[in-house]
Amino acid sequence: MIELLTETAIQEPQRIRGLEMPWNRVMGSTETPARAARALGPWHPQEFMAECVETIPEAGAMMTFVFRRCDGAPLAFRAGQYVNVAFPVNGEDQEPVDRSYSLSSSPTEPWTFSITVKCDSTGLVSPWVHENIKPGTVLEMLGPVGAFHLPDADRRARYLLLAAGAGITPIMSMMRTIHSLPGHADVVVLYHGSDAGGFAFHRELAYIASVDSRIKVYYSLGDRSIPEGWEGLSGRLTAAMLEEVAPDANGRQVYACGPEGYLNTATELLKNVGVDDTSIYMEFFSGDRQTLLEYQAEVALAADVAEEIAEEIAESAEDYFEGQPAAFGLYEPGYDAEGTLQASGLPLEIVGPETPGSDPSADSPGGEPEAGSPDASSFDTVGTGSFTMSFMRTGINVRIDPAERILEVAQRAGVRIGANCKEGMCGSCKVVKLSGEVEMNHQGGIRAREISAGKFLPCCSTAQTDLVIDA
Amino acid sequence: MTASVNVPLNSRGKIAASLPAEQLAEITALFEFRRTGYSLDAPFYTDPSIFKIDMEAIFGQHWIFAASTAELPEPGDYVTVDYGPYSLIVLRNDDGGVNVLHNVCRHRGARVLTEAAGSTGNLVCGYHSWTYSPEGNLIHASAPGETKFDKSCFGLKRAHGREVAGLIFVCIADEPPTDFDETAKIFEPYLAPHDLSKTKIAYQQNIIEEGNWKLVMENNRECYHCDGHPELACSLFPTWGLTEGLIPPHLEEVWNRNKEAQSSLEERCRRYGLPYEVVEQLDTRIAGIRISRESLDGDGESFSADGRRLSKKLLGDLRDFRLGRCSMHLQPNSWFHFLGDHVITFGVFPINEHQSLVRTTWLVADDAVEGVDYDLEKLTYTWKQTNLQDKAFVELCQQGAGSPAYEPGPYMKSEYQVEAFINWYVQRVQEHLA
Ligand code: FES
Ligand code: FES
Ligand SMILES: [Fe+2]
Repeated sequence: MIELLTETAIQEPQRIRGLEMPWNRVMGSTETPARAARALGPWHPQEFMAECVETIPEAGAMMTFVFRRCDGAPLAFRAGQYVNVAFPVNGEDQEPVDRSYSLSSSPTEPWTFSITVKCDSTGLVSPWVHENIKPGTVLEMLGPVGAFHLPDADRRARYLLLAAGAGITPIMSMMRTIHSLPGHADVVVLYHGSDAGGFAFHRELAYIASVDSRIKVYYSLGDRSIPEGWEGLSGRLTAAMLEEVAPDANGRQVYACGPEGYLNTATELLKNVGVDDTSIYMEFFSGDRQTLLEYQAEVALAADVAEEIAEEIAESAEDYFEGQPAAFGLYEPGYDAEGTLQASGLPLEIVGPETPGSDPSADSPGGEPEAGSPDASSFDTVGTGSFTMSFMRTGINVRIDPAERILEVAQRAGVRIGANCKEGMCGSCKVVKLSGEVEMNHQGGIRAREISAGKFLPCCSTAQTDLVIDA
Repeated sequence: MTASVNVPLNSRGKIAASLPAEQLAEITALFEFRRTGYSLDAPFYTDPSIFKIDMEAIFGQHWIFAASTAELPEPGDYVTVDYGPYSLIVLRNDDGGVNVLHNVCRHRGARVLTEAAGSTGNLVCGYHSWTYSPEGNLIHASAPGETKFDKSCFGLKRAHGREVAGLIFVCIADEPPTDFDETAKIFEPYLAPHDLSKTKIAYQQNIIEEGNWKLVMENNRECYHCDGHPELACSLFPTWGLTEGLIPPHLEEVWNRNKEAQSSLEERCRRYGLPYEVVEQLDTRIAGIRISRESLDGDGESFSADGRRLSKKLLGDLRDFRLGRCSMHLQPNSWFHFLGDHVITFGVFPINEHQSLVRTTWLVADDAVEGVDYDLEKLTYTWKQTNLQDKAFVELCQQGAGSPAYEPGPYMKSEYQVEAFINWYVQRVQEHLA
């Protein structure tokens, strides 16, 4: 017992660089996001039924409702997104009332999910929810919805998370997600509440902050009087407070959630401390007509997409994942499909005016057969052998045996391919293979990149299948 | 990464020895009687013989900045670097190092690689297809009828290459100066946090300036002429290069703004563990250097009109965009600006006594997306303009040096770094000729 209480210096964990959501790895490792999405389920919005399995009272008149989908599927979403729920406030036979609630759980535990609802005694829905939703209650939902979420991959992962009151719910999801993932991150949370006993999740927050050195949590008590023994900050959000909790806010991505007034102040202050507006993401928990309309439009768009997808599933479950609606960029993965730029060696500029960026079109790999290119079945066929090589430019089919070198057979048949070393060193015979497989034994005359772009050296290659060659 | 040199390329004073004794005596006298504190005599900028000496004593003996990691990220990527009579191939090898090879075919001397940059496997000469491995060994030469042809005698000549903090340097001397190790130790900690290995080229510009390479370097060492750079003046404090006591009344206010910005920059640097102190050893060592981290005007983030960031992706593991500019000047041929959001490298490659190639490369984080995270026009605007203005200044001086009326003029106090550069140059050449 004594030993457990002794503080020993423990080293920091060793981590990979940056944060990456688990699904992003699948997306990056397969050809298209659509195909990869199959592994984890799609996160474009769907309409589904969910059953409440647990209710957890929280501080600050909040209640967490844990759900699972009735169809048994996990709910795929991004930390920070919300669901739109139809509540039969006026009884099962009346039109239900729709409300949107941020998901407070982490998508890395996708088999159940939670929303956390603050009871506003003057409201129509929340008191009903607190009173009536029990384990066993089944509700109709639409989700996930929303562009307020963590990126799928972020090698910098420096965040400032600002929450006021019930605005902690999506922030809680983000924190739980980051805590559950390995990788470098640097997270500062600043949580404003109105009274000392009203900070929802404060125990879990304290726990996460105590075990996860990547996450720091600060509390501030708004403009209320400060009770005896309060150890947090006090006062509304100010630039000085931002500087105090995150002097490097300038280099962070900021996620802020709370009532409109709070967010408007935050916008102003963040600008003052040098945060770029493109680094600020906000979720409004209350707002003017304009804001409300925007959210309505977002939900309506999600409903359209959900419907479209439902139809596709009905038509063909197989094709459904391939044919994602392209129009809804919100649900596309957040990575750049293009690789890095190559050194392009621009031409020399002799005089003042800029040369327009020249196109380094040294060779475009993969050369697809152009539309209207000749049909190999009309070519003459020469030679003997078990495979056929179609030379599209020359316009000839040449038969070849698996043991023969492609270059020799081709040259004998009159196909012009320059060749110097004939040993796979000089690269002079390099051609593009449009289809088929070869076995190549080169000696440095070609690079892996060129091979993956479809090129090969016929001087040191044999045919493994029928081939179509751009020569 | 040091390559072995299989054939001596420069013996000391080779060119000098080939000059007629009378001419050599004249040139030696020019170096000897150079008037301290004054610009150089005209022949330093106009005489082909002095250019030859420069090529031998400076570019033949020192580490030259060639390219950055971003220009050859993968095995097989190469750039060709030409200066004076030399052409070098700088090639990323399969072990991640760089091979530096003279771009001169051992058959009849053709340029082996003719592109400025690209990617290759083995190196094949375009003339008769002699084929060299990436290490420079001749691995194939068709030789019908030859009986006594020994391929191992005809490898491409190799030179030295090394990479420090993502910058690639080459040296064609048999024995490169070892002093560069110390210089590298100075600048490495300043540059490492910007992590050049995780950058990509946003844009590269090649300008040929009608001016001697020394004029290009001199012009870069002073901001006396910075009134001529209206775009740059937005982010660079117009007091650059001045010190307390030299501030004219109309710049008093700017000076105070500068001091304030500098002290908050230094506080941030201390917080993040970034070095910022000025190290100035322009003429006190072989690999002359000046490096520092200095604040920028406005928001202090980048070379934009308001000092705001030009790319939204921070470099390396930097935590803040407000890191001013870490600027390095490295003799004989380069200078650099390292910012939170991008890096600009400048390399000077002499062509002859009156022409120099200035290559400017803008690097951004390799995951920054053009059009999303940065706007290429905006990113490159300030320095494209500034480069053109500098080109014009250099050319005015070159023209002046060609006039019989030209005589050396005095460097002003704010031009002390020009004097230091020239002093370094004169010392280096004299030591070589001795
Ligand atoms: S002929 Fe040299 S690689 Fe094929
Ligand atoms: S000159 Fe290079 S192969 Fe002949
Ligand atoms: Fe200038």
